[in-house]
Amino acid sequence: MRTRKLLGIVLLILGLVLLVATAASASPRAQKGGTLVMEETDDVDYIDPQLSYYGETWKLEQSTACKLMNWPDKAGADGTVVTPEVAAGLPVISKDGKTYTFTIKPGFKFSNGKPVNAKSFVDAINRFANPKMQSTGVAFLDIIKGASDVVNGKASSVSGLKASGNKFIVTLTKAAPDFLARLTMPFFQAIDPTLAGQIDANGINQYASCGPYYFSARTPNRSITLKRNPFYKMGRTANVDAIQVNIGNPQPVEYQNVLQGTSDYAAGGIPATEWKNVSAKFGLNKGQVQVHPLLDIRYLALNHGRPLFKDNPQLAKAVNWTVDRQAFAAQGGYLYGQRATQILPPGMLGFKRQGIYPLAVTPGTLAVAKKLAAGNTRDGNAILWAANAGVAPLQAQLIQYNLSQIGLNVQVKLLPRAQQFTDAGNPKTNNYDLTLEHWGADYADPYDFVNILLDGAQVTQPQHNNYAYYDVAKFNTAMRAASLLVGAARGTAYAALDANMMKQNPPWAPLVFSNDRNFLSARFSCVTINEAAAQGPLLNMACLK
Amino acid sequence: MFQYFVRRFLWAIFLFVSVTMITYVLFFLVPADPARLIAGKSATAADVARVRHDYKLDRPVYEQYWRFFDQLVIHQSLGRSFANRRSVNEMVGQAAPVTAGLVAGGAILWMLIALPVGILSALRPRSLLDRGAMIFVLVGISAPVVWIGLLLQYFIGFRLAWTPNAGYCDVFNPPAGATCGGPWDWFYHMILPWLTFAILFAASYARMIRANVMDVLGEDYVRTARAKGVPEQQVIRRHVLRNALLPVVTMLGLDIGVALGGAIFTESIFNLPGLGRLAVNSVFNLDLPTIQGVVVFATLAIILFNLIVDVLYAYIDPRIRLA
Repeated sequence: MRTRKLLGIVLLILGLVLLVATAASASPRAQKGGTLVMEETDDVDYIDPQLSYYGETWKLEQSTACKLMNWPDKAGADGTVVTPEVAAGLPVISKDGKTYTFTIKPGFKFSNGKPVNAKSFVDAINRFANPKMQSTGVAFLDIIKGASDVVNGKASSVSGLKASGNKFIVTLTKAAPDFLARLTMPFFQAIDPTLAGQIDANGINQYASCGPYYFSARTPNRSITLKRNPFYKMGRTANVDAIQVNIGNPQPVEYQNVLQGTSDYAAGGIPATEWKNVSAKFGLNKGQVQVHPLLDIRYLALNHGRPLFKDNPQLAKAVNWTVDRQAFAAQGGYLYGQRATQILPPGMLGFKRQGIYPLAVTPGTLAVAKKLAAGNTRDGNAILWAANAGVAPLQAQLIQYNLSQIGLNVQVKLLPRAQQFTDAGNPKTNNYDLTLEHWGADYADPYDFVNILLDGAQVTQPQHNNYAYYDVAKFNTAMRAASLLVGAARGTAYAALDANMMKQNPPWAPLVFSNDRNFLSARFSCVTINEAAAQGPLLNMACLK
Repeated sequence: MFQYFVRRFLWAIFLFVSVTMITYVLFFLVPADPARLIAGKSATAADVARVRHDYKLDRPVYEQYWRFFDQLVIHQSLGRSFANRRSVNEMVGQAAPVTAGLVAGGAILWMLIALPVGILSALRPRSLLDRGAMIFVLVGISAPVVWIGLLLQYFIGFRLAWTPNAGYCDVFNPPAGATCGGPWDWFYHMILPWLTFAILFAASYARMIRANVMDVLGEDYVRTARAKGVPEQQVIRRHVLRNALLPVVTMLGLDIGVALGGAIFTESIFNLPGLGRLAVNSVFNLDLPTIQGVVVFATLAIILFNLIVDVLYAYIDPRIRLA
């Protein structure tokens, strides 16, 4: 009996020891709570919702804002469908496509406890349009009836907005199938009455938000702090207690901090030469290194307004056959992006892999390029503009070499980035034949790529984004027609436009669809990437091991 | 003395106006449009025109400069940043103490290094100490500040983790959201920046002090003092150092004045939110008011320190009288 009791006790102790040992050796599990620390190389412009226009600010606002329509917190294709958030469902749209009626879902609250209602959105748009705010995004209001009058100081409120009970009604100046996508921009998020009354072009640094988090503190050029919204109970995840953004560390320091574990996310990037090392060390998209395609393109705009490329489709095609996209991408480091030979990026509605031009340069492709260029190089001289910082000068040299092979003598002119796009967009100062450009989607709709960048109506404006000075009547008509379509038809029309422009008379030589490269700490978990919503991992979904 | 101060004051005004005017004109020679930058990439022509009007960028350059000068002198305002619309007074006011802390600490450190190294090298020429010191001088002067800073940051801050690799902590009143603050955190975070900042100056000052001391050691009055039986320590202290360090005082004042304009490299490497980093960011953003703000502060600092040096020199050297 004594022996049995003794055996029992020994077994019990052994069992307990084994249990403790197992628990200790188990890998740490992701849990709620903690503070996520992220780094940014440069400060954001504003955190004021009607003023902020940087991608980095929008990344934070994806966690703080509640919007009528939003991108769901999902990765992949599921995340690219515009989905009602504060709206109870899709709006009721009038037959002429100009009036949208939204029903506001009850339950959303700001971080100060006040409820979100239809007026919250009326206030947001009125504040956005208020000329005293001097918002730089007011161009997106052009389709809302009465907005231009407010922007120009002729009215005090936007006539095309109405809040009636739990209904929010918007009247547009014309049918705009991309309107729902526009509403996903942070400019249109709900704001509380206090913020509605704060009209300050310098921006407000503390205000109540209705998303899973709110901005609890901001010291310009130093730090931003987000905390969990205590009144948010509407289904979106908010794992960490707080998100601390430290601003100003250069990339090597961000890299060191994430490696050491003192930061969780190098949002400002790491040195280009380290991407290959970290990918080899930690693996790709398995944890610490996350690389996903962006709705973004780097391209060589061919100036169709100047003699070299004007009415010269053969030369434009020759350029597309000769540029070395592989070498171009290599300048940006490992996994810089996907080589591009078309306008719309993967993931964008209307993207369809066209395969019109080669991704790699071979003797065969060069021969085709030379044949197309023969007799079409005009005086044989060209001016290429590029930014004077980062990898752009190297990329410009590469293009210069590529084009020399088809008989073009290219003079490279390096400019400060700000000056480059300012002068390129001005018909009086566009003294270039080619310019190396970069465009990222404001919202995930092909209108923002095709119409904004290639509609010929722009080229006579004092400032515009059509750096190719592309003005082809049949394509202008097709672009405007495509912008009025919805759903699959819209995608098909834009895909056809993309293919036809590139086949018949290329406005650009597309080069790279940029990747979003993210380096995360070992404890960063619950990684969800939705490039339509924001660059990088969705911060509200993040958790810490 | 009064006449001297009046002359210096008038000269300072002239210098100040010239520097700010040249900066203003140079900015407008850069062919870029700040209104377009402020209005954003999706702005229409009307938006850009409205911004240009709001910021008075459609006025002639001389009128814009006069407005800036009037604002500065009458209202003591440097205007608002084009990039983020913050008050430039506030931005410069927040950045200046950071740079001042870097420069002050760096100056103390470089003198603590340069003085003993320079003096001992001069007193023991061609000794092992002297040769070692000159190697330090050579490396310190030749090596780029950026390289030194990055090395220190990588090895001491990152690999050994003896100090933070970057970042700044406020001594008093850390801002909301700050993860550190207080005298010890501030000091701890400034060790590597001070070292980086000080090395170049320490090397050049050590060399200068060595040369000056060796010069003075050969003077007649030093030989006379020794011949009279004055103890060597007293000779060094009372006769040699006092004369040898006069030029050092001048250089120190000038270097501190210039450095207060912004230790750009050090601040950029270690993420110190000082005037240097402010200047770099505002240049990249074509943010004229902020550029002007930093220029105004730097100009005033240089003028002030020049004046202090001149007065101090007259005080230290009785042979000098301010005419």
